[in-house]
Amino acid sequence: MWGAFLSETIKLRRRSMLLWGFGGGLFFPLLATIFTIERATKTLEFNPHGGVRVTIAALEQPTGLVHGVVDVSSLIGIVSLCLFAAAFAVEYSQGTLRNLLVREPRRSQLLTGKFLALVVFIAIVVIVAVGVSVAVAFILAPGKGISTAAWTSSTGISDLLHAVLHAFLAAAIYGLFGAALGVILRSPGVAIGVAVAWVIPIEAIIVGAIWSNGDRWLPGQLLDALAHHGNSNSSYLHALVVLVIYAVIVATGTLLLFNRRDA
Amino acid sequence: MTTTTPPSDSGGAASDGAAFPIIATGLSKRYSEVLAVDSVDIKLPAGVVGGFVGPNGAGKTTTIQLLLGLVAPTGGSAKVLGESIEHPSRYMARVGALIEAPAFYPSLSGRRNLEVLTSLGRLNPARIDEVLAMVELSDRAKDRVKTYSLGMKQRLGVAAALLPDPELVILDEPTNGLDPAGIREMRAVMRGLADRGITVLVSSHLLREIEAICDHLLMIDHGRIVFEGPISGLLDAQRSGLIARPEHAKDLEPLAALAIAAGKQARVDDDVVRITADEDWAPELNRQAFAAGITLRGLEATRASLEEAFFAITEAEDPGGEAEDQH
Repeated sequence: MWGAFLSETIKLRRRSMLLWGFGGGLFFPLLATIFTIERATKTLEFNPHGGVRVTIAALEQPTGLVHGVVDVSSLIGIVSLCLFAAAFAVEYSQGTLRNLLVREPRRSQLLTGKFLALVVFIAIVVIVAVGVSVAVAFILAPGKGISTAAWTSSTGISDLLHAVLHAFLAAAIYGLFGAALGVILRSPGVAIGVAVAWVIPIEAIIVGAIWSNGDRWLPGQLLDALAHHGNSNSSYLHALVVLVIYAVIVATGTLLLFNRRDA
Repeated sequence: MTTTTPPSDSGGAASDGAAFPIIATGLSKRYSEVLAVDSVDIKLPAGVVGGFVGPNGAGKTTTIQLLLGLVAPTGGSAKVLGESIEHPSRYMARVGALIEAPAFYPSLSGRRNLEVLTSLGRLNPARIDEVLAMVELSDRAKDRVKTYSLGMKQRLGVAAALLPDPELVILDEPTNGLDPAGIREMRAVMRGLADRGITVLVSSHLLREIEAICDHLLMIDHGRIVFEGPISGLLDAQRSGLIARPEHAKDLEPLAALAIAAGKQARVDDDVVRITADEDWAPELNRQAFAAGITLRGLEATRASLEEAFFAITEAEDPGGEAEDQH
């Protein structure tokens, strides 16, 4: 497994992987942080395009530092989903899987080592994304008259660490689903297309038109709840437990398929 | 004609594995309605360059994939280096392989691609420089694979196969895309491996290539092994012939008649007479022609080529069918 892990780290140093991983992972949190701070208002204001703008008072709370990051955790998750799906499917579509199996015939070890390397990669992406967002928040806050005192309090640091942990957990589970799609569909384009279509429009349609209680059970909704440390639909614990059950089922099914299917 | 050296289960697995790195018994692979590999028996001796020949779609690549544990058999069994193909992890560390078209990560350099494989197999990284030198890719090792020609990718594929310093090397169509100089170098690499005691199994649909480099032969057609044995034995078993060239064209027909009268098959072909006969009969033909007043400008013995042998065998196996063109 260690060999598969090391081998994958060489592939992850490709320019395309770094660009998509860090580019996608950094873009959304950075944008969200800038918008959240720059558009913050002194009093509660309804946005003409829907929702409400964050108030300066809310941003001055310990959680204010990671407000933007938490809002786009699901988008980091979708970047992770696409990254994992592409990383697994491309081994089939390029024909490199056979080379890998010649050097590591223990398929479970190959799959697990590759997955763990990608998990470490996405953890680094999350940490860097949050780190850059935090730095930008500290730079922009004084200009908007936002006090950052609570951000560096023990509660603020704790909220920051929780935000990193939840964003990472959501990204890792998104990644597992992406890996499963990559192995099942064996085509990066198809795997990414199916993944994004499921998470963005299909789940919304199911919840909106077919199954109103689906927001407590559908994976995309649960991952959103996990990233937000629970939301109005699901508690954090409910989301975590159901997602762990899903993850075990998906991981077992993927391992079985990968082990039994001809390469 | 069938397999000349049928496999046997007698003797210990270890000694069998040492003497015969590949042993297959009734190995089969069915894809829904298609029987891609049909009860294949193989017993490849150690230290030889074994040629695996057959038309495209005959089952060569599927057989190789079965031996490497990449696809699961639907029947029969096989052992590679004394271990069952059901447990490829027990022998793959000692096997190098190039399967079909060489597949690499195009945005990584040749060296980085090999690093991916050495890391994965926990191999000695020092081997990378050695194998790159063996296939003469050291100068381009730092270039991205997407800038490589097909021939260079093929050589990189062979380098990848040699990374573990293997006891057995299996190469699927290694000369595809190579220019004549590259083909000559590839022959030298394979002979060099055999000289070091490494067993090589090389598949190709180019029969002349196999004839030039191999000393053991596996012939497959429609998923079935139609011949296995030393290549010299196969060619010797084929009918040899004589080509006689008379000084004057008017003597062509009389010369052919003379051979037929002696009980040989003969036919006029352009400005020569082709006679089915052993080389030993050449002096007698020369004497009879001289006695009949025919002066020969040339007389040479011919041996059946592997291509002719292949068609003779496959047509004998399937008289109603048409063998595919082999070029």
